[in-house]
Amino acid sequence: MQAGSFIVGYEWDFSVVFRDFDLLLLGLVNTLKVTGLALLFGIPLGLLLALLRLYGNAVLRIPASFLIEFLRTTPPIAQLFWFFFAMPILLGVEIDPFEASVLTFSLQSSAFFAEVFRGGILSIDNGQWEAAKAIGMNRNDTLRRVILPQAVKRMIPAFLERAIELMKTTTLVSTISYADLLYQANTIAQSTYRSLEVFTVAAAMYFVVIFICSLAVQRLEHHLGRTGELTKG
Amino acid sequence: MEHVWDFSAVFSNWYLLLIGLKNTIVLAVVCLVLGLFFGLFVGAARYSGNRLFNWPATAFVEIFRNTPVLVQIMWFFFAFPIISPFDINAFTAAALGLTLNTVAFSSEIYRAGIQSIHKGQWEAAKALGMNYSQQMGRIILPQAVRRMIPAFMNRAVELVKMTSLASVIAYGELMHQAKTISTIEFNPIEMYTSVALIFFILIFPFTLLVQRFEIRSKAKG
Repeated sequence: MQAGSFIVGYEWDFSVVFRDFDLLLLGLVNTLKVTGLALLFGIPLGLLLALLRLYGNAVLRIPASFLIEFLRTTPPIAQLFWFFFAMPILLGVEIDPFEASVLTFSLQSSAFFAEVFRGGILSIDNGQWEAAKAIGMNRNDTLRRVILPQAVKRMIPAFLERAIELMKTTTLVSTISYADLLYQANTIAQSTYRSLEVFTVAAAMYFVVIFICSLAVQRLEHHLGRTGELTKG
Repeated sequence: MEHVWDFSAVFSNWYLLLIGLKNTIVLAVVCLVLGLFFGLFVGAARYSGNRLFNWPATAFVEIFRNTPVLVQIMWFFFAFPIISPFDINAFTAAALGLTLNTVAFSSEIYRAGIQSIHKGQWEAAKALGMNYSQQMGRIILPQAVRRMIPAFMNRAVELVKMTSLASVIAYGELMHQAKTISTIEFNPIEMYTSVALIFFILIFPFTLLVQRFEIRSKAKG
């Protein structure tokens, strides 16, 4: 199929795509696996980074801030390549595409989650700190029992939006041969020469999953906004 | 294992990196300019009450916002040429994907910005006898654009980061040059560290500028 040849009557043939549909589904499962694990590690790590940036002494605060800014301002693909191609040689360890992907996206998303946590914590009125102090709570108790529960409720939509962004970003793992949805699509396209159909179906699969998530987030945001639990930071 | 850092091969290939940097900037600027330009029209169509404009614009925006940008680039590079009447090279495919993505995201910024302007402004402009395009062009947009600047700058930062995806389809931007150099010189550690630093140096001043803008516009209210 020559690129640029003017094909008016292109005959679409989706049969090859549906013959290999289970491979695409497997890819989707792998996409969700990387996304899920990155969230699992990224959120606690993000909280830690946010707390270090907010309340740490200079020795902790400055590296934490730098790490957050660095991970937020460098392209994820540069990070992924660094962890996959550079780090193993540097540390003399072996790492497979799956581990490199989870590691990269846990760290990458932790930086964004840290900023969500920070925004959420800072959005809580100072009066809450003072009230907690007045009843004799120390800083850790105040954070854990007064500030964070309120902050987290406000952050939920931002978290979910980040999670959706993360799912979109995980398509990069295909570049280091981890068999996510995009990688599977690429493989099938190469063996069947039906790249138009295969990539269109793969894009549609991403769309369905991500669009449903986006609608759910919007719905939730609307709901939280109505019950007054949401203040835009 | 002790690794001895050796950046000499990075510096001796400075010219290749410079070409990559140039290509990164060219791609980002082209997509930003086209994206912001067409985004205005799509945003206006989204804002319009006329279904003939509203529905196609909404479908377009939702499709491009809810699929990964790498999938868009791959689609334009591997799938689109089959039905395209014109030739698609790596630059065209990357530029198409990133531009349309930027159109979708910036149209939402335009829409939110236009919506944030008080209804009274429209009415006042109408009362002066202005037609729709005059109301939009002279009264609403000048006020709205000022509020949108931080969001646009964030988009620009995201866009520069996204140009690195063009390396996947072998467009010779910074990331692709780094990949090539590291395979020739066997220096992935130094090369990928350097390229991450170059991106950081390129983008970080922008993020600082955005933060400053955001603080200033918040203080203004």
